[in-house]
Amino acid sequence: MSARSLLNDQKAVGARWLKLSVVLGLLNGLLLIAQAWLLARIIDAVVFKDAGLADVAVWLWLLLPLFLVRAGLARGSEQTAFRAAAEIKRQLRGRVYRHIQKAGPGWMSGQRSGALSEDLTKGVEGIEAYYARFLPAMTLTALIPLAILLVVLPIDWLSGLVMLVTAPLIPLFMILIGTGVERLNQQQWKTLARMGAHFLDVIQGLTTLKLFNASRREAEVIARISDDYRRSTMEVLRVAFLSSAVLEFFATIGIAIIAVFIGFRLYDVGLPIPDFMAPPEISFFTGFFVLLLAPEFYLPLRSLGTHYHGRMEAVAAAERLVAVLDAPVAPSPDEPVVLKPEGPIGVRFDDVRFSYEAGRSALAGASFDIAPGERVALVGPSGAGKTTVASLLLGFLRPDGGSILVDGADLARLDIDAWRRNLAWLPQSPRLFQGTLGDNIRLGAPNAPLDAVRRAAEQAHAAEFIDRLPLGYDTPVGERGVGLSGGQIQRIALARAFLRDARLVLLDEATANLDPASEALVQQALDRLADGRTMLVIAHRLATVRSADRILVLDGGHIVEQGDHATLMQQDGPYRRMARLLEVSAP
Amino acid sequence: MNDLLRLWKLFRPYRGWMLAGFAISLATLIANVALMAVSGWFITAMAMAGAAGVAMNYFTPAAMIRGSAIARTAGRYFERLITHEATLRQLAGLRVWFYRKLEPLAPARLQQYHSADLLSRIRADVDALDNLYVRVLVPSLVAIVAGVGFFLFTALFDLRLALVLLAMLLVAGLLLPWLSRWLGAAPGRRLVEAEAQLRQVAIDGTQGLSELLVYGAAEAQAERIDALSRDLIREQDRMSRIAGFAQGAVGLCANLTLWAFLWIGIPLVESGVLPPPQLAMLALFALAAFESVAPLPLAFQQLEATLTAARRLFAIVDTEPAVAEPTGPAPQPQDNGIAIRGLRFGYPGADRPALDGLDLDLPEGRRVAIVGATGSGKSTLLNLLLRFWAPDAGEMRLGGEPLEAFPGEQLRDRIALVSQHPHLFDASIRENLLIAAPDASVGLIEQACATAQIDRFIADLPEGYDTWVGETGVRVSGGQARRIAIARALLKDAPILLLDEPTEGLDAPTERALMDAIRRLMQGRTVLLITHRPVALAEMDEILVLDQGRVIERGSHEELLRAQHYPRLLGLDNAL
Repeated sequence: MSARSLLNDQKAVGARWLKLSVVLGLLNGLLLIAQAWLLARIIDAVVFKDAGLADVAVWLWLLLPLFLVRAGLARGSEQTAFRAAAEIKRQLRGRVYRHIQKAGPGWMSGQRSGALSEDLTKGVEGIEAYYARFLPAMTLTALIPLAILLVVLPIDWLSGLVMLVTAPLIPLFMILIGTGVERLNQQQWKTLARMGAHFLDVIQGLTTLKLFNASRREAEVIARISDDYRRSTMEVLRVAFLSSAVLEFFATIGIAIIAVFIGFRLYDVGLPIPDFMAPPEISFFTGFFVLLLAPEFYLPLRSLGTHYHGRMEAVAAAERLVAVLDAPVAPSPDEPVVLKPEGPIGVRFDDVRFSYEAGRSALAGASFDIAPGERVALVGPSGAGKTTVASLLLGFLRPDGGSILVDGADLARLDIDAWRRNLAWLPQSPRLFQGTLGDNIRLGAPNAPLDAVRRAAEQAHAAEFIDRLPLGYDTPVGERGVGLSGGQIQRIALARAFLRDARLVLLDEATANLDPASEALVQQALDRLADGRTMLVIAHRLATVRSADRILVLDGGHIVEQGDHATLMQQDGPYRRMARLLEVSAP
Repeated sequence: MNDLLRLWKLFRPYRGWMLAGFAISLATLIANVALMAVSGWFITAMAMAGAAGVAMNYFTPAAMIRGSAIARTAGRYFERLITHEATLRQLAGLRVWFYRKLEPLAPARLQQYHSADLLSRIRADVDALDNLYVRVLVPSLVAIVAGVGFFLFTALFDLRLALVLLAMLLVAGLLLPWLSRWLGAAPGRRLVEAEAQLRQVAIDGTQGLSELLVYGAAEAQAERIDALSRDLIREQDRMSRIAGFAQGAVGLCANLTLWAFLWIGIPLVESGVLPPPQLAMLALFALAAFESVAPLPLAFQQLEATLTAARRLFAIVDTEPAVAEPTGPAPQPQDNGIAIRGLRFGYPGADRPALDGLDLDLPEGRRVAIVGATGSGKSTLLNLLLRFWAPDAGEMRLGGEPLEAFPGEQLRDRIALVSQHPHLFDASIRENLLIAAPDASVGLIEQACATAQIDRFIADLPEGYDTWVGETGVRVSGGQARRIAIARALLKDAPILLLDEPTEGLDAPTERALMDAIRRLMQGRTVLLITHRPVALAEMDEILVLDQGRVIERGSHEELLRAQHYPRLLGLDNAL
């Protein structure tokens, strides 16, 4: 998809409003011709026909309603153009964000969320100028000058000719210069997004910068980035302004030539034009009427120049949005397989291969089984592929080879949302979302009553500290769970898992943030959670591992050993070596 | 009004630019008005002279028309160039200004802000301030000067005409902007808020995507974005209505002025007081004069949004840092030993103190560990040692000198911290390491990575040290991130080392290997370690057990194994 086709596709959404806007604008233009005609009549009568106020009073009164209607039309066309763009923006924002969701965390990990949020906010706003300004201006540019020309040509073809000759030069130059600006503008948008992403990173790492006394250096970096931004923006603007200046030049010169030619003819001075072009004789009325129309003839062309800049910004913004919308989405199966509705789920990895980038495989043919209701621990050195196993099961990634079967069905043939409804997941560092603690626990069950939330919190040993907070479950929280410790955030996430009646629970180093005393409590909670569910724990603590029914030892992307603790301890394998290390450390 | 004054002060260094912008805008405006007025006069005069057969000098007005045409074109170009250059310079300056004010507030005072909110401030709110200069300050100034000039010019012909013009200019340039500002205040404020909120939800919705998807909350988040999008558009719609109204009204004012000019002017022509060409000139002049006030209503309508943005910036800038920087000369500590007596501290709004009379001695070269349950005050102690917060009571000394006498930077020069969740910047591995020592040589970096045992991992990467670690380090595992953090601490080479649960949450072999790296890092340094891992604790000179902000047990690992709380905290009571 190209940026242009994206912009074109969206046009249909606001088509009704766009048309109305153009109609109102055109009406305004026609009334303007009438107004100029009346005005020329009045001046002509007063100057040449010795008319008094009483003679022209009727004309004057006629002007008044014209003024009022035109003011109303100006307002109306502004409003309708806005409506058109508003509808498009709203739909597009929802569409882009939903596409990000479909592309999923696998794609997200290669993106900067600062830049994405920039696309969702400023990026979508950036296309407004195209629909609210450029498109209506574009149509009006074709219509209003044409209408004026139709009026002018019959009464003074020389002025009409000047208009005809100068007018096409305007869009021509605009396009010539515009293509260069367009390229610059796209770079500009990238600079802008980069700036946003950099600032977000700096803000989130401010404490680290401070620890290394690097924050002053960072101020220089920010100064440099802002200055680069200024330079590149000015580069774009210089060219853009030059194109407007060229436009302006032709428009102004056009008006000046028309004025001078009219004046010369009225005074009977020879015109600097070839003899065979006998200039038409004109009256003062015609001359003044044409002079009044001349600026209005160029006005839409001039404003098109201004709005052309808006169009380029919109194209650059659309370019970014298209990059998001082009993110690959794993196809959803045509006829998704439906799992049996309840009971714990069985999982089977059959020769699953996956690599994040060519040459660095994370899973190199991993095969294992998890029986329904079984509690399995996945252990292995860091980088062995444990997290990849979880990401594959969660549907964030698709295997490059081999297959993943759940309850005997290929995961790829399941509707992914339906599949995820069976899951609860506790990631390494869980995130709290804007909202209250209660909302955060309710993440997977938005309609759960407070009783259920409380029960989940109690089971996760989160209730004890939530109850101590003055606002309890209504305490607002931010992204990193401001004011909460890592262990507390972990327990809220655990409550989330409890509240969701999942059939397969995935835990990623779930007790990592807890001190052993709380860990023991959480461990009990997990035992309860495991009851009647299948559970896969990415583990590293002997205590967690021991209570598992079975242990899978992952190394180098393969399962190198499996069995329960006792069996594995009898073998002289990697597991025993790992466990030894732990036992040495615990005297 | 106060906010406006403060903003003005911020813009003061750019006065020269503003003056240049003003001068050239005024010149352009005058050229434009002259073009229209002279053209009207010219053709009427030419027609009259032609009809009457009298001679007239047409060279001067014709030249004036061409001259003002060219002046207008050139003027418009330079006006745009200068005002934009000036604005962008100001914005760059303001961003740095804001960042410098933001930095001392981290982390204590920024806890309450979502990072997306802060991002909105440094990006969008700073950007919004340009409205003040480009759209408000310069055009207002131009309108005032031009308005007076236009009035005086018209008064040369007839005072009544001049008064009508002045009255209508005041309506369009003062009343309408005031009305727009008044009507636009509330939606303008809400617009800024809605935009900031949208950005927050967008960041939540992207960074937290995994959890939203798994918990089936993704569609709810999308609907939240839809709803905020609708809110945003509703406010924009209100603003657009006001803008449309004001725009129509300015045009109406211009037309009504023309209308009044004719009512007053035609009798003057009749009675011979006003030569006819001047009526044509004044008519066109009246129309063109309103170009001076046309941009004002919109600018003032957006003023509230600008001021809201400014207030959001001021709210941060005005926050007192949690810790005041000392003013006296920096002390000369004898050594790097730390002594703490009766330390007390409670977070604002907390119901009980995080530290409640803590005593600690950490002589130079010694290694002390702190053990305690979640919420016992361990991390608070580190925050106080790093002077991110100031204690409520008690005494902390470094090398015999009170801690509060050290400037923050000098203090943090002596301390390195390795924590459980180190922040890796969205940059290459090399740049992440260079944060600790910007001038470190390649050899030094490689040596630090070898000590931290991350050199092999880095060497195996196709791009080596230039590998991008991605936002908040998402492309490296937890263990690798910590090793990079250890290498960073090695490069910093500070005499005091704070370790905040450095091996927690890692699998056994990784922990083992990491502990080796940490052991080398501890070599020759004064160490304060927070952990529950027995591996590390066994090597400590002394261990303090913290509970509810107090030390309840202290001694060596061996001694404490027989104590009451220590074994339970380590999970050793129900030994494996």
